[in-house]
Order: sequence, then C-alpha cells, then structure tokens
Amino acid sequence: MNWKRVFGRIVLYGGLLFFAFVYLLPLWSAITTSLKTPAEVAKTSALAFPTHPTLAPFIESFDSLKGPLVISLIITAGGVAGSVLLGSMCGYVFSKIRFKYDTFVFLLLAAGAFIPYQSILVPLFTTISKLHLFGTIPGLILTHTAYGIPMCAILFRNFYGAIPESIINQAMVDGAGPWRIYRKIVLPSTVLATVVVVTFQFTSIWNEYLFGLLLGGGEGQAMPATVALANLKGSLTAAWEVQMAGAIWAALPVLIIYIIMGRYLIRGYMTGAVKG
Amino acid sequence: MRKSTLVIISIPLIFIFYFVYVMMGWNIIVSVSDSIGAALTYHFKGFGQYIKLVDDPRFWTSLKNTLLLLLLIPCSIGLGLLLAMMLDQKLKGTGVFRNIYLMPFALSFVITATLWAWMCAPTDGVLNNLLRSIGLGSLTSMWYTHDETFIMTVIIALVWQFSGYTMMILLAGMKSIPQSQLWAAELDGASGFRLYRRVVIPQLKLPILSAFVILMLYAIKSFDFLWVLTEPTNSTFTLTTFMYYVMWKRWDFAYASAIGNVLLVLTLVIVVPYLYSSYRRGEK
Repeated sequence: MNWKRVFGRIVLYGGLLFFAFVYLLPLWSAITTSLKTPAEVAKTSALAFPTHPTLAPFIESFDSLKGPLVISLIITAGGVAGSVLLGSMCGYVFSKIRFKYDTFVFLLLAAGAFIPYQSILVPLFTTISKLHLFGTIPGLILTHTAYGIPMCAILFRNFYGAIPESIINQAMVDGAGPWRIYRKIVLPSTVLATVVVVTFQFTSIWNEYLFGLLLGGGEGQAMPATVALANLKGSLTAAWEVQMAGAIWAALPVLIIYIIMGRYLIRGYMTGAVKG
Repeated sequence: MRKSTLVIISIPLIFIFYFVYVMMGWNIIVSVSDSIGAALTYHFKGFGQYIKLVDDPRFWTSLKNTLLLLLLIPCSIGLGLLLAMMLDQKLKGTGVFRNIYLMPFALSFVITATLWAWMCAPTDGVLNNLLRSIGLGSLTSMWYTHDETFIMTVIIALVWQFSGYTMMILLAGMKSIPQSQLWAAELDGASGFRLYRRVVIPQLKLPILSAFVILMLYAIKSFDFLWVLTEPTNSTFTLTTFMYYVMWKRWDFAYASAIGNVLLVLTLVIVVPYLYSSYRRGEK
C-alpha cells in the first residue's frame, strides 16, 4: 500500500464520516433535546448531551400520543392486510396469466400509485362521509387498502415474475386452476417477497398524513399518530423538548423496522424504483 | 380468460376502478358543476372555476413554488451520485454508512418536518447555533419563517431526505456494470474520477432517469412536509397545500377540485410516458 492510497482512504473515510454527521444531525439533536429540561434547552447547544437527563418530555408527549399511536397501529395493520392481500392477487394474475390487453389493464392499475391525491380528495371525502365512515378507523383502513393496491401489485408482479413458468405449466397440466396455483405454489414460494411488501406497506401507511388529516376526524376520533404529532407541534410552538420526544415516539415503530428489517425495506424501495 | 382468474382480480380491480378512475371523473364533474361550498350539486355550470384560477394570483404563486421545488431533483441526484461513488469504493464499513444515509427516507414527512422545524428554528435553532459557533454567523437565516427563504429551507430538508434514496438507485446501477469493463478501462489508464466520468456515469442513464421521475413525482405531490413545517400562507403555497387550504379551510369544493385537476394533468404529463416506456422495455 503506497502513500497515495493511504491518503485516498483517509479522505474517503473523512468524507463518509462528514456526511454521516450531516445525515444524523437532525435525529441526534432531537434525541439530545428530548432528554433536556426547558431551561437546559435554552442554555445549551442542541448538539450537547444533557448534563441532567430527564424523561419528562417523553412522558408529557406520550400523554397526547398514546391513543393515536394505538389507532395508527390498528389502521396500519388493517391497511397492510387489505392492500397486500389484494395487491398480491393482482401481481399473480398480471405476471403469470396472459389475456387480451393485460399490459394495458396493468398500466391503468399501476398508474393509481402515482396520481396526486389532491385530484381525488373531494370525491374521497364525499364517499367516506356518505358511507358514514368519516372519523372512523374502518374508513381509513378502506382508504389505505384501496390506494395501497397499485404499489403492492407492482412489487408482487416483479417478484412473481421470477417463479419459473415450467412449475406453473406443470400444475396446469395436472389440472390445477389459477386459484389453486396461487395458494399452493405462488404464495408458499414467495414468503420473502411478502415480507418485503409488508415492511414496505407498513412504513408507508404508518407514515401517511394526508388521509389521516382529512378523514380521521381529529381529536377523540380516528386520529393517527402523524396527525397527533403535527397537532402537538402546532400547539406547543416553543416546547422543543416535548416536540422532539413526540417525534421520536411517532418514529419509533418505523425506526425499529428499519434497523431490524432494513434489508427487506431497501429491496422494496429498489423494486418500486426500477419498474415503478 | 378463465372465470376463476376474473374472480381473483375482480375485487382489486373494482377498488381501483372506483377509487382512482370514477373519482377522477367525479372530480372533473365537480369542477365544472354549480356546487357551492361543500354541498355538491351536479348541474353543468361551465369552466368558471378554471377562469377564476387563471385570475387568482395565489394560483400563480403556488405554481411557481411547485416548480421551484423541482430544484431538489438535480441537488438530490448530484449528492446521491457523490455518496454512491464514495460507497462504491471497496472500503470496510460502507454498509453502515449506507444505512445512515438512507435512514431519513424511511421516516414520515411529519417527523422530518418536526425535526427540521427545530433544526431551522430562527432564533435558537440547531443550524443557526451551529453556524454561529463555527464562525459562519453570516450564514444564519430566518429559514422557513420568512417567505423569501421558505422554499430554500424545504429544498435543503427534502434533499437530506431523498438523496439517500437516489444514492441507493445509483449504487445499484454502478454494481450492475460488468467488472470486466471496469478492468478494461483501468488498463487503459482511467482511474478515480476519470473512471467514473468516462465509464461509469454514462452507463447510469436509466437509473438516473428513474430517480429523476420518482423525485419529480415526490416534489410535485409533496404536501405533508410543507403543511407540517409551518402552515403555508398566500406566498408560500404550493399547488398541493393551496388545494387543501381551499378545500378544508375555505370549504370551496368546486374550486379545490379544479386545482386538483391541474395537479393531475401536471403529473400525468410525467407519468404516462415514463410508465409506457418502462413497460415497453420490460416486454422486450
């Protein structure tokens, strides 16, 4: 190893560390701030760790977030179940069964993942209100299921494309119908794909804000954690330590998934990007 | 098509047909109807809402701000490319760095907007304090609290959130270039930045195009971050926040649906050619 290479390495690691600092700075200052008293927030640098750490901001913010966190969990579970199930059926049909205009129909379906929701917000609000689902958990589960289907279908169609046609053809020769092939061959051989799509959908529904804001009905109704955090931020403009603690509460499920299941989540991002 | 196939896809297709296409049509009808406030009525009234839009200075400000947000695309791609090049070197521990850079992308816009509200708080915020302590006090700013620096602040924060994602897309593109090509180029004397400029980057056209389109969609559709960072006002509206304001704060559903349709057209101009070409490639 010569000097030029050593020098190159030092520059590279220096660059990587610098950017790590930049990317972690908002989260780091949130963590340090959330452990401080209001007096210490005003006195010390946000980068510095508190001299007398306190959990008071976490307790205070949890008080207004605990209900919404549970609501978010229920909405997310329901929305993931619905969109993954229906999206997986689409992915199977559009990757393994040929019929007239199949690509065109799939494109119409996939386009649903890209429309700006502002263009359907008035009809959506009217529909959910007419169904008496405004401000209810089922209303939000229905909405997330519907708008989750296109992305799930795109992801599953990619993953199912990797199942060899010969296995499917053999099963068809043996007299199995599409439904049976789906349950007996496609689903069991693609557990990993399902894990990828579930983590992807979990994070996107958990993170969602607009539907929760419009259809959740606010305080005391089906208000998800993202909306509650935004409200907390709006009502406590100067109490940074409570806001930061609230942000950490709301981010926690996704951060845990990112740390444990990051590999699968990244595969979801990549598959969505390459074909989406 | 067999009957059982139809049964499998009928439920999801009905969902999408109703929630996407029926609602799109419905939204267009509302925008040309005589609806007043939140009460929807369906007599054809004409294109008055669109004429009102053209005469509304808030619409032009929103459109300008939406287009200004597109500046985050070249910034995210440039920064993503730099990060991808650094991670592409055969160094130890790059996986950890990759996960750190991508982490913001996994977080909700509501959370990142809360974090950035503190980062860019005008008086005692993290960035202003940091700038002062390293002697760059002249760079302190009012950030999102002043109309002039609002969009700039949003772009900085969103580049922080998206550049890890473009890094992933570009890094995957770099890894898929055959090793033999890189060796051949190295034998020809290309190395370091030259190797990237001459050999690697020209082969990243497709990943860069994907990143470009996806970021453009994110930029045009971005609502959560803007709405949470600070409630937008007349001069900081984008099309998305302006639409929501008209719908939810003014209860003018017909006008709101007209704004929504403008956004839809803007998006379709980007999505249709991209989806079409992407699947044409896939078919071959």
